[in-house]
Amino acid sequence: MSTERTQEIETAASEWLVRRDSGVWTAKDQARLEEWLSASTLHRVAYLRLELAWEEAARLKALGAGIREDLPPARGQWNLTPFFKAPYQEKGLRPNAELSAPVPEPASRPDAGGVGGRPANSRRLRIGVFAVAASLLLALGAGAYLWLVQGGEHYMTPIGGVASVTLKDGSKVTLNTDTEIRVGLSARERDVDLKRGEAFFEVEKDSQRPFVVSAGGKRVIAVGTQFSVRRDAEDLEVVVTEGKVRVEDAGETVLAPGTIAHAGNAGVLVQRKTVLEAQEHLSWRTGVLMFRDQTLGEAVAEFNRYNERKIVIADPKVTDLRIEGNFRATNVDAFVRLLESGFPVRARVQGDRVLLTSN
Amino acid sequence: MEEPLDTWFKREILSHEEILMRFLARVWPHRDELADIRQEAYARVYEAAQKSRPQAPKAFLFTTARHLMADRVRRERIVSIRAGGDGEFLNVLVNEISPEQQASANEELVRLARAFDRLSAKCREVVWLRRVKELTQKEVAKRLGLSEKTVEKHLRTGARLLAHYTRANALIPRSLKTEVDEQDDDKSNYEHGTHTRD
Repeated sequence: MSTERTQEIETAASEWLVRRDSGVWTAKDQARLEEWLSASTLHRVAYLRLELAWEEAARLKALGAGIREDLPPARGQWNLTPFFKAPYQEKGLRPNAELSAPVPEPASRPDAGGVGGRPANSRRLRIGVFAVAASLLLALGAGAYLWLVQGGEHYMTPIGGVASVTLKDGSKVTLNTDTEIRVGLSARERDVDLKRGEAFFEVEKDSQRPFVVSAGGKRVIAVGTQFSVRRDAEDLEVVVTEGKVRVEDAGETVLAPGTIAHAGNAGVLVQRKTVLEAQEHLSWRTGVLMFRDQTLGEAVAEFNRYNERKIVIADPKVTDLRIEGNFRATNVDAFVRLLESGFPVRARVQGDRVLLTSN
Repeated sequence: MEEPLDTWFKREILSHEEILMRFLARVWPHRDELADIRQEAYARVYEAAQKSRPQAPKAFLFTTARHLMADRVRRERIVSIRAGGDGEFLNVLVNEISPEQQASANEELVRLARAFDRLSAKCREVVWLRRVKELTQKEVAKRLGLSEKTVEKHLRTGARLLAHYTRANALIPRSLKTEVDEQDDDKSNYEHGTHTRD
């Protein structure tokens, strides 16, 4: 069964539903509807599904009570009724990790790799379970161990680490793998210098003090919003999930929620996505890499950001294989094993590298 | 007398759509096929229930969906890759994936309003007049100065989108989105950023 077929059936079901609702409905019409429903159970369940949604829509009446106008109130203007004590707002994916006191040694850490040789001032911190929207929590399992090296207003993560810090102004920064930032808060401005890597910002509203992320000679400016900045040498990638963000290089570009922008030397390329897609782009915050129809070459490059053990494509034939899926960023072994089982690919361990060839 | 099968099906099966879709989205890599799998699972459950209604409808629905996916993997040799191992979806317990409690009546109304607010302006008015103010389709057409054909079109779109938005909020198949030319959140094309001065 193809997607097209599902959509066609749904369209036909909606036509029947609306025709029956039209007030002009004869016994003959009913017989023809029965015939259509009996032709396939797929027809019947599609019809029942829309009929249920339509029945439920009548409950809008509960919201219409007291509205004298016969047209609906403006979007979001529902709070006049007693039903809206609950906050009426879009639910975003907010990682809500709190740094707790450092613990000497985590009980178990199956995905350990490459942190043994860290400098002596490395402190391993245990981060609580991420409180995120349920859909993401499902993909997550238990909490994650994160690392943070802290020296005043200077934060770093090692390869494979992800950590959240709350700044003095209340804003929260989540640092991705191999990332370094410097923070300067003054009365006029909140400055974050992104030295390298990628970070996600949840900015506390403060119209008097813009929140400015500088990297590679460019400035990314927000007031109260959520966005990420990834730095690749002089190039930036900015993902906005809430509010507006301004990118200043030679000119100025304003980014709306759901945009993914690439700022290079040639200017700013803006990609409009849904907010959800933008959030998927930021799945690293929960330690998960999501690939949607990407080449193995791209996926490997992404994996290598998170692991000391590098995957090397030793045969150009496998570079363009297209893959999809969600992976734990630090579990190279599982990724490679799955590649071997599902693709014409062979993996060979050579020192601290994993070579991929075609078989 | 046993209640009608359709009524039972709506209450015991269709009411789990949001959780089902979340589960499918988690374990199935091809988004565009989620609605297919869902509808196929509904059809199988309905057919089975015609013979005898399952004791645990929700578990039965999820088991059916899992079998469908396993069939597809075998048939199409789809490589399913997930964090934590492949084929994982064959072993997920229903309770693991539905930790949330029953949504309260108020929450459901909020959800309905939110879904309603995502309809286009005209579609919203048409659905409101028909469903809340209970005008006939003819009266709605007259009140808004639209043709009856247009009113029908908005009602069809409204029913389909409300079904999606109230249940699988985040998982609208792209094909449906483009078909109903909804607002601006389905643009995924590239465009060059405009430089603004303010």
